[in-house]
Amino acid sequence: MSFRSSITIVASPRPRVGKTLVARLLTDFHSSENRAAIAFDLNAGERTLAQFLPGQTVAASVRDVNGQMALFDRLVTGDDAAKIIDLGHDSYELFFTLAHQIGFVEEARQRSIAVAILFAVTPDQTSVSAYRSLRERFGRAMLVPLHNELLGSAQHRDKYPANGSGAVTVRLPALAPGLRKLIDTPPFSFANSSMANATGVPLDAHIELQRWLRRIYLEFRELDLRLLLADLRSSIRFGS
Amino acid sequence: MARPAVILVGADKGGVGKTTVARTLIDYFGAHQTPTRAFDTEAPRGTLKRFHPDLTEVVDVTSVSDQMKIFDTLGSADAKVTVIDVRAGLLSSTLQALTEIGFLESAKKGQITFAVFHILGPSIASLEEIAETARVVGDANYFLVKNFVNNTTFFEWDPATYNSYFKRIKGAEEITIPKLNEMAYEQVEVASVPFVSFVGNKGPKGEAANYSFVLRGYVRHWLGNVWGEFDKVKLVDLVSPKVQSNVRQVAS
Repeated sequence: MSFRSSITIVASPRPRVGKTLVARLLTDFHSSENRAAIAFDLNAGERTLAQFLPGQTVAASVRDVNGQMALFDRLVTGDDAAKIIDLGHDSYELFFTLAHQIGFVEEARQRSIAVAILFAVTPDQTSVSAYRSLRERFGRAMLVPLHNELLGSAQHRDKYPANGSGAVTVRLPALAPGLRKLIDTPPFSFANSSMANATGVPLDAHIELQRWLRRIYLEFRELDLRLLLADLRSSIRFGS
Repeated sequence: MARPAVILVGADKGGVGKTTVARTLIDYFGAHQTPTRAFDTEAPRGTLKRFHPDLTEVVDVTSVSDQMKIFDTLGSADAKVTVIDVRAGLLSSTLQALTEIGFLESAKKGQITFAVFHILGPSIASLEEIAETARVVGDANYFLVKNFVNNTTFFEWDPATYNSYFKRIKGAEEITIPKLNEMAYEQVEVASVPFVSFVGNKGPKGEAANYSFVLRGYVRHWLGNVWGEFDKVKLVDLVSPKVQSNVRQVAS
């Protein structure tokens, strides 16, 4: 592939839409693909991500310049690791304003790093406007609507048009409530498949979890592929 | 051949950011491929020279020999634009000297393009300074620069008072230099490179540097806004009407 690594920003201006779960899944997905993966937790207070991924999570902040430098300078470092940002709703606006101002996506592309924004869709007008604003400001990033079926089956596709040709959406399939409780209890790890057995989960539940995980990983592989495709198209168009 | 242009950057008070504005001007003309030279009047050691050593000469603007060095070479120098960073307290006397040597008269006749960038300070004294400068500046292109780069809080002046001074200068235009993040500003100072080099991650000799991407981003965004102000007053057209280029492309 022409890009060396990727940065995926899991974002929404709304709280409690499953961003941290998706960030965990993405981090474990990259690990399962034998890639180094680092997760950046931009949630004030709880730091849930670190409870699940203690060895791979970096607590980050964009509230002051030191925090901004620690985050963005590391994101564009050419260390070949896949980077995942769990962007808390309270840092959403500041993060994207700054990213736009400093030319984050352009810098990343210059360093052969692909940027994808996984936007957790909800039907409210705030999210719809925020999505539109991202489309306008970050034309060179892949903007991907994320449909979290754990929140319900509504798709809102008309409100969240996919970005450009070869665009993709990511679906997070629904999961039985019992299993949701299991995966939401630290230190559960998707990367460690023996974890389900270790916590005394019945075999059929374990199988269902693995099936669910495979479906999601398939979505992530598709996303990876689309990123590569978009990058190739862009390279041809811009001659870079 | 285009007529030479002289831009005087000054204020009667120190610490209002004259040199910062002079630096942005040099970068701006550089981005527009307009050959530029600069004179730093902070003799014997000039701050401007530290950032633009190849383009800058330190002079004593009150000495006749240095005045000759600047003004007698206007027609023969390769650089079309001459930027003079006037030391604090010397703006009025420099303008007076320019009157005496007939420079302002030449500008009036259209033989030379002359512009004054008057950097405003935080106190009411600055307003009196405008009135004083207006008296001698005549038909020069006059730009009043409100410099917020160091987050100066001086624009709490009564707008009516300010406007009454502002209107004394025929055709005066206002330029606002926005605030730049302190740490970003500091890092450019430490690096001692032009703003454009900092944005391009280059050291003093053009070598690759390792400045923070975030700070470079802050400087790029700020410089783009400053240049936007220069575009607004059509600065390139003023000094070099034929040159056209996309300044932001160069910056990025």
